Amino acid sequence: MAGEVKYAEAIRQALADELSSDPRVVVMGQEIEALGGVFTATQGLAERFEGRVLDTPLAESATVGWAIGAAMAGLRPVVEIMFMDFITTAMDQIVNGAAKLRYMSGGQVAVPIVIRTPSDAGTGHGPQHSQHLETWFAHVPGLVVAMPSTVADAYWMLRHSIQDDNPVVFVESKYLYFRESGEIGASTAADHPYAARIARRGRSVTVVTAGRMVAESLAAAESLAAEGVDCEVVDLRFIWPYDRETLAESVERTNRLIVVHEAVGDFGWGGEICSWAASELFYSLDAPIRRVAAPRAPIPFASHLESAVVPDRSAIESAVRDLARH
Amino acid sequence: MTPTSRLELYETMVRIRELETSVESLHYSGRMHGSFHSSMGQEAAAAGVTGCLRPADLVTSTHRGHGHAIAKGMSPTTIVAELLGLQPGSSGGKGGSMHLHDIACGFLGENAIVAGGVPWAAGAAWASRRLGKDLVAVSFVGDGGAAQGVLAETLRMARTFGTPLLVACENNHLAHSMPSERTFGEPGSIAAWAAGFGMRAEYVAGDDVFAVHRLATEMIDEVRASGRAAFVEIEVWRVRAHSLNDPDYRYLPKDLGKSYLQTHDPIANAERDLPLTDAEAATIRERIAGEIAEAIDAALEGQAAPARLATTGVYSEAFEQEGRRRGW
Ligand SMILES: Cc1ncc(C[n+]2csc(CCOP(=O)(O)OP(=O)(O)O)c2C)c(N)n1
Ligand SMILES: [Mg+2]
Repeated sequence: MAGEVKYAEAIRQALADELSSDPRVVVMGQEIEALGGVFTATQGLAERFEGRVLDTPLAESATVGWAIGAAMAGLRPVVEIMFMDFITTAMDQIVNGAAKLRYMSGGQVAVPIVIRTPSDAGTGHGPQHSQHLETWFAHVPGLVVAMPSTVADAYWMLRHSIQDDNPVVFVESKYLYFRESGEIGASTAADHPYAARIARRGRSVTVVTAGRMVAESLAAAESLAAEGVDCEVVDLRFIWPYDRETLAESVERTNRLIVVHEAVGDFGWGGEICSWAASELFYSLDAPIRRVAAPRAPIPFASHLESAVVPDRSAIESAVRDLARH
Repeated sequence: MTPTSRLELYETMVRIRELETSVESLHYSGRMHGSFHSSMGQEAAAAGVTGCLRPADLVTSTHRGHGHAIAKGMSPTTIVAELLGLQPGSSGGKGGSMHLHDIACGFLGENAIVAGGVPWAAGAAWASRRLGKDLVAVSFVGDGGAAQGVLAETLRMARTFGTPLLVACENNHLAHSMPSERTFGEPGSIAAWAAGFGMRAEYVAGDDVFAVHRLATEMIDEVRASGRAAFVEIEVWRVRAHSLNDPDYRYLPKDLGKSYLQTHDPIANAERDLPLTDAEAATIRERIAGEIAEAIDAALEGQAAPARLATTGVYSEAFEQEGRRRGW
């Protein structure tokens, strides 16, 4: 597809192209059929793909369980959970069903489902509509966790995830839905589908991040460049599996590592990266590893309060500056 | 119903009883570890409902599902090997007693999350219809499971979407120590609740396999023809303790289960109703006991899976290969 599209349109295009190319694909969720999705991700699809884009009742647990059964019977269901915070109501089916069925059945069944769900603060939806919960899923064996940051990845990672034989929790950025534009272009998978992407080459510090925080990190890198600090920004793309090869290669060049995520820092996935790097890249590091993440608080509603907890470019800048001094 | 199929229902019940009592002995002798939930006294539900299904039809089950697995055609050897944690078991020992799966038999599997398998059955039956297969699914659930939100959600969604599903609720009067009367009222109340979802919902006493089978056949035929869900509550009793790890009846008279069997044993009732003479019944029981003994011997020959397999089969083969190469 030529020309620029928005992140939300890229999601819609990926769904449309999968619905076209694979008759096993069905899309299920709340407000996705008649309304076209609260973030327009499925707009027009119900008309184009009759009977394959389906409104469910407000029953997240049964919906995910239903999709699991449908996947066991040969379909490739894509479930939309309207806001990531609501995924708690489907947790059992994701963790005890989708993630474990292949293992529990000794490989007799696969559960190729995708659970698409938007996260991020920044849209004024308040504490129960804004939380980043991807760490929970990255912790569960059996799940893949995707978190695209660009239009091209929103498209290509979703297409790949729908064809993945493993259950994928696909964390979309509602902050970027209508802010991020770009071209879909050619496939973004590098030498393997789960490879990280070096979003900006640099020599001084490796900033590893994902989702919406990639753009914040790139913006920080631009300001820092003026100060002579040359950041490398690694967009992980997948929280699990995360691409250790690319990370190691980067840190071996920059000798400094910062992890940036919007999720709460305490026990967040950044801690996992830090722990891995501390043990495997210790002799490449010239400085302590730093994390930039949200403090331990829900996401408040008021914009000025929200800004106080969500990491932004200036928080990233000061962390990098501090590290570059080492 | 032909006399043969009546006899088959009886034989299925005997097979379940025989397998479970034999495995109990293995457990007591220390050859099996972990949980084991006996369905003794509930055999008519498994045999009666599953007995009216076709091979391609699907079943999901509970933590108390050995009987459902046998009735759906799973091999006793595979079951026992899995219960013992051996490699020839249906899941190579990764699942155990609460995780029997046999896709080739249409047995989508047990589930140790109470009521967690109900939406799987609903979704699998719905998807199969879309893929042009004329099949139905049965999802077994307990009275305890009837309190779970996911059951209500699934019944609701079954109405929205339509799916050829029969939920078979085995009301065995207890959810571990909680009497179902306390949660739902007298037997039949769960069916009355399910009727509120706008589906056919029936109650049947579960000590008569032929009555269960008659009703289930009629309901399954309807479900198959209409593509709409239905619900049957089958009243049985849990004869054994909740599980072998919980052997004492702290909360009930110790002989309650046994006295139930004295008056309501579905196997004895079937012998009376078929009818079978004592000698005929003894011959059948002996033959089946022999089959189960052979199955257990065969299972015991199986090897334990090598420990390195414990971390495999979590993801697809291609994914795990990539991960091994790249250090995930
Ligand atoms: C979601 C969940 N909660 C609690 C348990 C623990 N548990 C296992 S079986 C059981 C009782 C289930 O009762 P019922 O559904 O009536 O089945 P029964 O054991 O009587 O066959 C409980 C509470 C569980 N396995 N799953
Ligand atoms: Mg019960």
